[in-house]
Amino acid sequence: MNLFLLKNRIIGFCLIGLITFFSCEEAAIPVKDDGIPMKLDTISFPVIKAMSYQVPPEMGLTDLLYFGKKDGYNFSYNLIKLDSSSVTAGTPFSFYNDSLIIVDSLKFSLRFDSDSIENNAEFQLRYFPDGGDSVFNELESNYINFDKSIASTFISTGQLESDTTDTNQTKVFLNFLLDSSIVNAFKDTNITDFNRSFLVELKNEESESFIFHSTDKVGGDGPQLKVYYRQFVSDSVVLDTTYRTYGAIEDLSVIIPPPISSDDSSYLSVGMAMGLKSIVLVDMGDWTLDPKAIVSSAELIFNSAPNDTLQNFTVISYPIINEGDFLQFSLFDKDPYDEDLNYYTSTSIIDDKLKINHRKVTTEIGHQKYINYGFKLETSLYNDPFKTLLFYSLNSSDLFPVMRVIYVLP
Amino acid sequence: MSYRNILISLLLLNYHHAQSVFNAYGLGLSRSAYHTATSGVGSIGLVPTFHPGVSLDNSATWPGLKFTYISGSYNNRSVGLENSNNITYGNGLDKMQFVIPIMDRYAVGFSLKLVNNHNSYFKTDSSSFDFQGKNLITNKEFRSGGGLLAGSFGFSFPMNEKMGLGFSVDRLFGSSRDEHSLVLNAIHYRLFNIRTYSGTVMNINFAGNFYNDNNLIVLGFARISMTGKPVSGTLYQFDLFEDRNDNYTFDTDDYPATVNVDTIEVSDIYAPNSFSFGINAGFRNDLNMFGEFQIWNDEASSANYESIYMDQIGSKTHFGGGIVKFGDINARAWQDKLTFRLGTFKESYSLKYSGKTINENGIAMGIGFKFAVTGNQLDFSYRTGSRFINGGYKELVKEFQIGLSLGDAWFLRRRAKQ
Repeated sequence: MNLFLLKNRIIGFCLIGLITFFSCEEAAIPVKDDGIPMKLDTISFPVIKAMSYQVPPEMGLTDLLYFGKKDGYNFSYNLIKLDSSSVTAGTPFSFYNDSLIIVDSLKFSLRFDSDSIENNAEFQLRYFPDGGDSVFNELESNYINFDKSIASTFISTGQLESDTTDTNQTKVFLNFLLDSSIVNAFKDTNITDFNRSFLVELKNEESESFIFHSTDKVGGDGPQLKVYYRQFVSDSVVLDTTYRTYGAIEDLSVIIPPPISSDDSSYLSVGMAMGLKSIVLVDMGDWTLDPKAIVSSAELIFNSAPNDTLQNFTVISYPIINEGDFLQFSLFDKDPYDEDLNYYTSTSIIDDKLKINHRKVTTEIGHQKYINYGFKLETSLYNDPFKTLLFYSLNSSDLFPVMRVIYVLP
Repeated sequence: MSYRNILISLLLLNYHHAQSVFNAYGLGLSRSAYHTATSGVGSIGLVPTFHPGVSLDNSATWPGLKFTYISGSYNNRSVGLENSNNITYGNGLDKMQFVIPIMDRYAVGFSLKLVNNHNSYFKTDSSSFDFQGKNLITNKEFRSGGGLLAGSFGFSFPMNEKMGLGFSVDRLFGSSRDEHSLVLNAIHYRLFNIRTYSGTVMNINFAGNFYNDNNLIVLGFARISMTGKPVSGTLYQFDLFEDRNDNYTFDTDDYPATVNVDTIEVSDIYAPNSFSFGINAGFRNDLNMFGEFQIWNDEASSANYESIYMDQIGSKTHFGGGIVKFGDINARAWQDKLTFRLGTFKESYSLKYSGKTINENGIAMGIGFKFAVTGNQLDFSYRTGSRFINGGYKELVKEFQIGLSLGDAWFLRRRAKQ
């Protein structure tokens, strides 16, 4: 190795060492907020119109099914629709049209929400042999628009029974034993998709309530029908009795709410079992949001009414897509205000304040791409359906609703 | 891979220039010096600083080189704000160059150099205010990086026995990005701009020997730089978004669900033109004194290209002077092989729209050491100074630079065989 190369290598390694030694450090230089872009801005919009209204209770998605009476509510009856094919095996009702299949019996069961029986009331069951392919919709049917008279006379009665099969937990079921002929309606080949629906009610008027698992209850035992049958392999050989289980796909408690109170109509009120909802109109005037701006929050703020502790309750809200009637509290047979589901929000009440962040639709309104008809408030499915949430309305001098917008400009 | 390649790779990997608030004006501050020998006297590269009669930043002087050189200059820089403990550091490659002198009369060269530094990172103090019962704590943060590079080709030839000319073309290219963010209650609202650049600059360099006797040599130098094709570019302007997961990039966790990008073609955003003049007096004892002057203008017609500050550098003037004592490669004592440099400079940048002035004053010193028969040279330089804007920030800049130039014999006149 000659001296020239050796020297150059030494220099090279020294340089690498220096580079390593002088490693970078990046720390922000503090500067004044002067002449640099980005700006935070705020604006407050008043709520200029607000009103509550009542519609028939929409109980189709509740976790529980209700019978009897409670706090002025009258749980008239429950409607239950079964799946067209069985659990696991996927056996359709048309399976029983085979002459080699003999249906012995049917059992329709509902799981009681309690593990003990205090008052063993008697229930009765009806079905809809003349109901065609559909008799109710769990999201729309209610005590006003459903005609109970289309159901058959009662086909079975039943009472609560304890099931001790599981030694760790006692379950209580309401069981109805049905005549095997009922399945003939379900397997009717003249109707493509028979309604497979039952109406369940108390046989006698009761002063207390009875609560059962709905098919919407996570981890619960929803209503189900068991079909017991035998199958002939040949003229003389028959297999042992077996069964298929058909779970419910829709169920609904049809309830009649008590009369509204003065609080319900004077405050902004929302409640599922009462069918109470509210609408508010925020006056955004000709407000225009910079096309490049981003809304950090557009909180529609409500304050809980006095003596109304609402921790952990949730309210859902959407913009409405038609003009609201804010003149007076009204009762409607059907909710007249369609909502825009694209802007759905769900907000919990914290420290007696409800702050609904409607920034997406507020951005659209600020960009003049959306017409501001107002916002609807409803109670969440996760709340106690019998709890009515009350919020101060425009008649409060200091706790009136308001919208508060915070946005960032580039 | 040879040690040269390894070294070059490491240098490139460590590219990160120190930030400055002033780099956030337009394309940032333009550099006046590239080679370590030039920086060592605070020069703009006109007058000889590398070798007697030669500046590697002045193509007209290249025929004075005795060997072909491959050269690289690398700097470490610290920038601190006055009255603040805040100091930032950075390092990076300033220039890579390859120069071939031909027959003591001509020369060609290629180089890659950093023209503008766009690196900055600054933030405002947090402020807090109440909005109808809601406490808002906010501040702003800005970052920018990248900049303009120039790939340059130059050649030189003699006008007569005492004068020479050099032409070079700088192909300007590169990209930069900046991020603006507003922090509201610990949530960052960010937007990004990405820019690309393309343009050319022509340079005519002159070198002349105006006076020569046994005791004194007076050399004059000049440079005219003109924009060939003004820098044009594409600006990719991303919409503001809420960076919920604070990962600096827009993703599905962020708000809104989509972010638009405006692609804007902009022409004539940077058109530098300059005139520079320098004079060097060489004395009998190898001591040189020099003075330099430069006036520089950005003649671009397009408005601000979306830099963080809505202003940009419009013009610049440079005054500088110093002394250089060249070492002798043939000297027996190693001390006599050293080149010493000392200089001072003053630069004034004028902002195009506000008319404000950024002043920079500094001193520079350097040392060079020649070794090996092919004239290898290792240079070190140190510059320190201050940079301030009227009624605004004052930065203290310190820069340490290392240059390594490795020589080889190409196209040189051979001594006739006896």
